Amino acid sequence: MKHVVKILSLLVAVSAFWIVLLQAAIVPQSHTLLLPIYFVVSLGCYGLLMVGIGIMQFPTCPQEADLLNHVLSLPSFFLSYVVNIESFLLTCFSWHCRILQRQKTF
Amino acid sequence: MELADRAVGLLLSSISLSIFTYYTFWVIILPFVDSDHFIHKYFLPQDYAILLPVFAGVTLLSLLSVFIGMVMLKSKKKKA
Repeated sequence: MKHVVKILSLLVAVSAFWIVLLQAAIVPQSHTLLLPIYFVVSLGCYGLLMVGIGIMQFPTCPQEADLLNHVLSLPSFFLSYVVNIESFLLTCFSWHCRILQRQKTF
Repeated sequence: MELADRAVGLLLSSISLSIFTYYTFWVIILPFVDSDHFIHKYFLPQDYAILLPVFAGVTLLSLLSVFIGMVMLKSKKKKA
């Protein structure tokens, strides 16, 4: 919540500054929309940048991938779960959690 | 696999950074430069600085609404 308040107050301050500049005729009236459009464009660029950086830093966990492939290639893995479907689903879920845990530690 | 990921990420971030620097230069720095400077050759007239993003934004919004409308129509047709 505090973060949102900080960002909103910053936005209000910048818009007040822009309105003061407009009223004092330093910036011509035809260029009124320049600042809001600049902020929208920079927000879009920032989003794209964060997405690009996230893609570059995405960890693929090759160890877990190898282990998982090895485990899935054994038929005994599936035969042991024929009776109990809940424990099979639980194992899949715990694998998923383990991989997520590894990915969170950058 | 990792190399393709990193290439795509690098491409995306470089595109966004270049757009940001070009736009910042265009909007903020260029008005304070003399009109005879050679750098004005590389930038479009200042009026386009407002028109282009507005045009792009309007196009994006219209494409989005067309997509949403198509999805809604498709779901209604399936139900009926």
